[in-house]
Amino acid sequence: MKTGKRTYLIIINTFLILAGIYTLFPLLLALSNSFKTNGELLGNVVSLPKQLHFENYIRTLEKMNYLSTLGNTVFTAGISVFIMVLFSGVAGWKLCRTKTKLSNFLYSMFVFSMLIPFSSIMIPLYKVILGFRIENSLLGLSFVYSGLGVSMALFLYHGFVKGIPLELEEAASIDGCRPLQIFFLIVFPLLRPITATICITNILWVWNDFLLPLIVLSDNKKYTLLLSTNTLFGQYSSDWTAILSALILAALPVIVFYAVFQKHIIKGIADGAVKG
Amino acid sequence: MRSKKYENLNLLIYVFPALFVYIAFKMFPAASGLFYSMTNWNGINKTYNFIGLTNFIDLVSDSYFWQSVVFTCKYVAVMLVIANITALGIAVAIESLPRFKGLYRTVYYMPNMISMVIGGYMWRFIFHKVLYYMADNWGWSFLDQSWVGDTRYAFISIIIVAAWGAVGYLMIIYLAALQGVPAALKEASSLDGANAWQSFWNVTFPSILPALSICLFWTLNSAFQVFDVVYSLTGGGPGRATQSVAMNIYEEAFKGNIRYGYATAKSTVLFIIILIITAVQLRVMRKRGDE
Repeated sequence: MKTGKRTYLIIINTFLILAGIYTLFPLLLALSNSFKTNGELLGNVVSLPKQLHFENYIRTLEKMNYLSTLGNTVFTAGISVFIMVLFSGVAGWKLCRTKTKLSNFLYSMFVFSMLIPFSSIMIPLYKVILGFRIENSLLGLSFVYSGLGVSMALFLYHGFVKGIPLELEEAASIDGCRPLQIFFLIVFPLLRPITATICITNILWVWNDFLLPLIVLSDNKKYTLLLSTNTLFGQYSSDWTAILSALILAALPVIVFYAVFQKHIIKGIADGAVKG
Repeated sequence: MRSKKYENLNLLIYVFPALFVYIAFKMFPAASGLFYSMTNWNGINKTYNFIGLTNFIDLVSDSYFWQSVVFTCKYVAVMLVIANITALGIAVAIESLPRFKGLYRTVYYMPNMISMVIGGYMWRFIFHKVLYYMADNWGWSFLDQSWVGDTRYAFISIIIVAAWGAVGYLMIIYLAALQGVPAALKEASSLDGANAWQSFWNVTFPSILPALSICLFWTLNSAFQVFDVVYSLTGGGPGRATQSVAMNIYEEAFKGNIRYGYATAKSTVLFIIILIITAVQLRVMRKRGDE
């Protein structure tokens, strides 16, 4: 029995380690080769770099306008999620607390539309964006994201508000709180766990979304990280050291984010998926 | 007692901001898409004509579009099986370990943090440079294939990369479900003499069915819209062999001939396909919930 258990553990760990190698393989090879010269890379792609050549990074930092595209991405993700949380929080709360036919109808409409895939609305959406003249505005783009994401967030808030006792709100109302005060002072703090889930899933979604900015942003001063990486890839089709250093730079912020908030992210993803 | 009218008006005031962005950027585009799909709008001219179902009739004989539909269906089917089996296998393996659970979980989830555009380009490096190096220098000749240039291998390489990106996410959901299986049930089954295999199929598996539904649903939905990984890895090539529906729509609308009306007709077909699948899925889930 004892040896059986040990063989089992060895087999399972071997399997998991192989899967881990597959997972980390592209990341580690990109990292190690990004520090080589082009000649060294062509000579041996699997060896570690003999010397850390940071020139590649200096070159791509400039070429990608790294700091400004990073700033654009942070801005878009931050503002989108801020608007989404604010709008869907208030709306989800009010929809849950109002029991009329209209509130039922609005709620079902929001929930049903979660089924509409992005690729099936992207062309008319592009026309709407042109109509609002926000085709090269990051603030405009943030509003678009909030429009696309608000139904899911509202659905999660609506479900969570149900679990908050109404007596709390009634007591506050008797004490003279106005409705918005009730929401922001009493309800919103209690929604913190679901707000964290909504923030994490949506920040990652907006951060990693490629198709919408690809369609909407044409001014390269407004480019997000993914767009500038994509452009650089097109320009340096076989200059792998430049490309790989750009890829590492583009992946770095999310990796850092992951390292810091790992527990919250994994919990948020699991909760978001199960409740949604 | 306040009147219903007052209550509804009050509701609308609070819902208005959310409703506004939602209608402007989701509902209106969805509804107007249905209209544009019946016009010959080309995106440049201000005027366009209503042409009824002509776009849909043209679509029937559009071999590139159907080729992309076939590719996407194949991709969805393979992803459903491979990504879910791998993720469930990994989740079960991790859950059975006494130690290092957190470490494994952290590693496997990592690709999911990175955009598939970045991941696709990293893998492109592997397929263009690294595998050939291994084939030449380590004698691993099975790696010496035209990974991105040959139709069959291009499909395999897309699956390798897409699974790389998706498994971590699915694994997290399966892990959460596995942790919810009551330990008492598992103990009872092992006391009754069930081996690990029997206990998995008779106790664990039935209790993680909801998670399985979620994962299958998520894979279906995201795989039908696949764009990033194909765009960055093969660009739809060789030729149009790995072009997905979303890419086909994108190219029709934003590259080359700019036939917006016609491209919206394609989007409408995609939406209907996804809607049917979702309806079937929801019905199956509800039935299971009733039992």
